[in-house]
Amino acid sequence: MGSAPEHVDVEHARRRHRPGHWVLGAVIFGAAAWIAHFAITNENLEWPVVGQYLFSAQVLQGLLTTLVVSVVTQLIGMAIGTVMALLRLSAFAPARWTATAYVTLFRSVPVLLQLVFWFNLAYLVPTMGIGIPLGPTFFSASTNDVITPPAAAVLGLSLAHGAYMTEIVRGSLTSVGVGQRDAARALGYTPAQTFLRVVLPQAVRVSIPPTGSQFIIAIHGSSLVSVIAVSDLLFSVQNIYERTYQIVPLLLVAVIWYLVVVLVLTFFQQRLERRFSRGHLRDAVARTKSRRPEAALR
Amino acid sequence: MTPTETPRTGTPDVPVRGRKSHLPVVLDVRGVRKQFGDFRALDGVDLQVHETEVVAVIGPSGSGKSTLVRCVNQLERIDGGSIHLDGELLGYEHQKGHLRELSEVRIAEQRRRTGMVFQSFNLFPHMTVLRNVVQPQVLAHGADPGEAERRARHLLDRVGLSSKVDNYPITLSGGEQQRVAIARALGPNPRIMLFDEPTSALDPELIEEVMAVLRDLAAGGRTMVVVTHDLNFAHGAADWCLFMERGQVVEQGDPRTMFAEPRTTRLRAFLARTFGPERASA
Repeated sequence: MGSAPEHVDVEHARRRHRPGHWVLGAVIFGAAAWIAHFAITNENLEWPVVGQYLFSAQVLQGLLTTLVVSVVTQLIGMAIGTVMALLRLSAFAPARWTATAYVTLFRSVPVLLQLVFWFNLAYLVPTMGIGIPLGPTFFSASTNDVITPPAAAVLGLSLAHGAYMTEIVRGSLTSVGVGQRDAARALGYTPAQTFLRVVLPQAVRVSIPPTGSQFIIAIHGSSLVSVIAVSDLLFSVQNIYERTYQIVPLLLVAVIWYLVVVLVLTFFQQRLERRFSRGHLRDAVARTKSRRPEAALR
Repeated sequence: MTPTETPRTGTPDVPVRGRKSHLPVVLDVRGVRKQFGDFRALDGVDLQVHETEVVAVIGPSGSGKSTLVRCVNQLERIDGGSIHLDGELLGYEHQKGHLRELSEVRIAEQRRRTGMVFQSFNLFPHMTVLRNVVQPQVLAHGADPGEAERRARHLLDRVGLSSKVDNYPITLSGGEQQRVAIARALGPNPRIMLFDEPTSALDPELIEEVMAVLRDLAAGGRTMVVVTHDLNFAHGAADWCLFMERGQVVEQGDPRTMFAEPRTTRLRAFLARTFGPERASA
């Protein structure tokens, strides 16, 4: 012991051994190698068949249906979610009750059941019309003509989706501190300006990750529409393998397309997140456009 | 300062101190009451602020001093009494012999004549420093964007932050954020500035830079109400001082006289707790 020796510089010290990392690494690479070996050598996967159907017209048509149904579901769901979230946060009690009743009902009932219900709406309401409730009707049509299978699909998925989006939007709006509202009001912003210029831009940032997840759930949920005879991606490959009995390779075709769609979506979500994170990461980090900005904050 | 701002009184170097009763009343608070559930935050508060006056509001935590300025800015609705700004009743209008509540949009218009600075700064984190000061002028006051930016740069320069205009608030220290908040509130050139404990959330070494801005504004003839724990500011820069406790104004007067010879035992006890017994008796 005694006084510290001179000329000690830890810069060139050797790094500590981490035997646990070696073991874990070996397990991970071993498993990856085994999966790759299985994928290449197992004849039952029938990769040539996968290639044959990957870009077939029927599959691409199904993919398009899946995309249209999920995008429309997402857009309507977000619109419903925003309106219902504002109702839930309203100072007017009946508005809050309405939104709470909607969220409770549509989150409780399984989406599959909702789809079947809308598909069979004609049993409950044979004709639909536009008019004054309990008053004259100006226009009327058979419910089965209005609520076609695709319409039932979009209606059912959107209403269920809107209930989840309500909670996402509500959570995002309440995450913006009350001081922000106070500051905007104190500066003389009208209620609309306070919401659109101060609260909403900050709420959007918070809502992007859960909304992205919800969009993925919408894509997956769209595969449920096959039960009401809408030919989405899953329905299309099922249609083909019922003729050809090449079940595994055709399911693989669907797997590949779902993977591609979600990867593309994730890519855009990250870009959107980065755009809205302005002012929430230290300046230097924002400027370097780091791929992992959160790492630079540590 | 631009020519449109409030003119100063007295000579520039030695501002006149004390009540300025010869000047018009800007803010007139009469018998204001405010209740939060069972808690009586304001229990009949009166306050007159004349043009160019600096009024300090002191008192223990929970005495209602923050609630008072929040009511003046209509962030809280008062339960009774009245507040007039430049002779105009705030929050209500006379209609067919009755008093009616104003709409949110009309209240927003009235708020534009007061500037508010909060304890926790409350800058908009998604906007740069410059935009924080420009946007309120344009949105709430219909200022020309070019003119608003020119004025914002001038104000940020005045609070010593011209090098930080393109920064986001998160990259600034607390003292810098509070100075931006002051520039933001000054942007629309309000009739009166309200400060709600502007240095209470700051580290001790950052307090001085904010207080320097406040003293600069006071010397420049800005009409101000400052809720503060900083008795040195009240003593050294305020023309008038209110001591509040339990929602009431216990004592008011010239701060130098008040601190030297407190008339009430409650103020004497408060000063003793804050300054220490030697200072209070001196």
